[in-house]
Amino acid sequence: MFKKNQNLCKVIPFLYLFLLILPITFHTTAAFAHKVTIFAWVEGDTIYTQSKFSKGRKAKGSLVTLFDMEGNKLLEGTTNEKGECSFKIPQKTGLKVVLKASMGHMAEWKIPVEEIAATQASQTKTPEAGVISDIISPSNLSGSEADAKQPISGPASLQKEEIRRLIDESLDQKLSPIINMLADSQDQDPGISEVMGGIGYIFGLVGVALYFTNRRKTQEVRGQRSEVEK
Amino acid sequence: MHISEGVLSPAILIGGAVVTMAGVAIGLKGVDNKDIPKMGILSAAFFVASLVHVPVGPASVHMILNGLLGFILGWKAFPAILVALGLQALLFQFGGITTLGVNTMNMALPAVICYYLFGWSTKSSIKQSVFITAAFASGFCAVLVSSILVGFCLYLTGEAFSPAAKLIVAAHLPVMIIEGIVTAACAVFLKKIRPELLEEINV
Repeated sequence: MFKKNQNLCKVIPFLYLFLLILPITFHTTAAFAHKVTIFAWVEGDTIYTQSKFSKGRKAKGSLVTLFDMEGNKLLEGTTNEKGECSFKIPQKTGLKVVLKASMGHMAEWKIPVEEIAATQASQTKTPEAGVISDIISPSNLSGSEADAKQPISGPASLQKEEIRRLIDESLDQKLSPIINMLADSQDQDPGISEVMGGIGYIFGLVGVALYFTNRRKTQEVRGQRSEVEK
Repeated sequence: MHISEGVLSPAILIGGAVVTMAGVAIGLKGVDNKDIPKMGILSAAFFVASLVHVPVGPASVHMILNGLLGFILGWKAFPAILVALGLQALLFQFGGITTLGVNTMNMALPAVICYYLFGWSTKSSIKQSVFITAAFASGFCAVLVSSILVGFCLYLTGEAFSPAAKLIVAAHLPVMIIEGIVTAACAVFLKKIRPELLEEINV
C-alpha cells in the first residue's frame, strides 16, 4: 500500500503539470474559436453588426435577426464574408440584434433607444438645414439690413445644424476604428486566471467532498467506540 | 458543442435537467473516499479540455474528453461533468446556466453509454491491444453520440434533424479521432502506473 501511495505521489505532480501546460501551449498556437459574439452600432440611419467566433474567426453566412424590445421580429439578414450585416433602422425604439450561428451557438446585442434617437434626431434635422443653408448663401446675406434681420435669427441656428452634421460625419469617420476596436474587445477569451480559478474550484470541491465523507466515517467509528465503552 | 442560452425550448431544457439530476443522483450514490480525487482530477481535465480548439469550417469545435471520463468513471462521470460544465458556464461563458442540464446530459449520457460498451476491457485479464482499441473506441464513440444528441436537441426545437446532425457529426470528426487517441493514451498511462484506478469501479 505504501509503495502504491508513493507511486501516486509521483504521478500527481505530472497531472497538475499537464493541466497547467495544456491551456498555455494551445492558447498561443491555434487560431481557435469558441463561443460566438455579435456587436452592433448605429451610424446615421443604419445599424451595423459584426459577428464572430472568439479569437476573430468571422461568422460567415449566419442568420442575424432584428427584434424590438418586446421581441417582435422586424428584419432579417445574413452575414457576409466578413461576418458583417447591416439594417436600415426601421423604427425609433430600442432594438435587439440576435445572431444564430450553426450548432446551437447564439448571441445577442441590445441597442438602447437613446443611441438610435440621438442619431435619428440629427438625421431628421439635416435636410431642413440643407434647404435653408442655400438661402443663407453670401449673396442673400449681402442684402439690406432689414432683409438680413429676418434670416439672421435663422443662420445662427442653421449654421449650428450644418456644423453639427459635419461634426457627426467626421466623428463617425474618426470613431470607426475605435468602434472596431470595441467590437474586437467584445470577445475575451478565458485567460489563465479563469482557468486556474476553475481548477482551484474543482480541487476545493474535492476537498469539501472528502471532508464530508471522512467526517461520516469518523463519526461511525466514534459511535462504535462509544458503544464498546458502554 | 455547448448549446447557448435561448436556443432551446423550455420543455427540452427541463427534460435535460431531469435526466441530468437522475444521472447525478446515480453517480453520487455510493461514492467512496477513493473515488473523489479521481473524479476531481478528471473533472478538471474536462474543464480545461474545452479550451483546446480545432477550427473546422464555419464554426469551431473543441476537445471534450467525455469518453475518457465515461471509460474511467462510469456513472460518476455525471457529477464530474456537471461541475466542469457549470464552471465553464460561469467563468468562460460557454453554454449557460439554463442550458446546464441539457449540456450535461449531452456530454455525460454518451460517457455512460461508452462505459457500458467498452468498460469491460479495463479488467487486467484483457489483452493490451484489445484494451487500447476499446479505449480509442470509447473516446471516438462518446463524441459521436454527443454530436447526435446535440443535433437531436436542435431538431426538437425546430431545426431540420439530418442537416443539423450531419453538420455537427462532420465537424466533430477530427475531434473524434483526436479524442480516441488521447483517451487511449491516458488509459494506457493509467493502466501502467495505477491499474487499480481503472479496475475499482463497480456501479
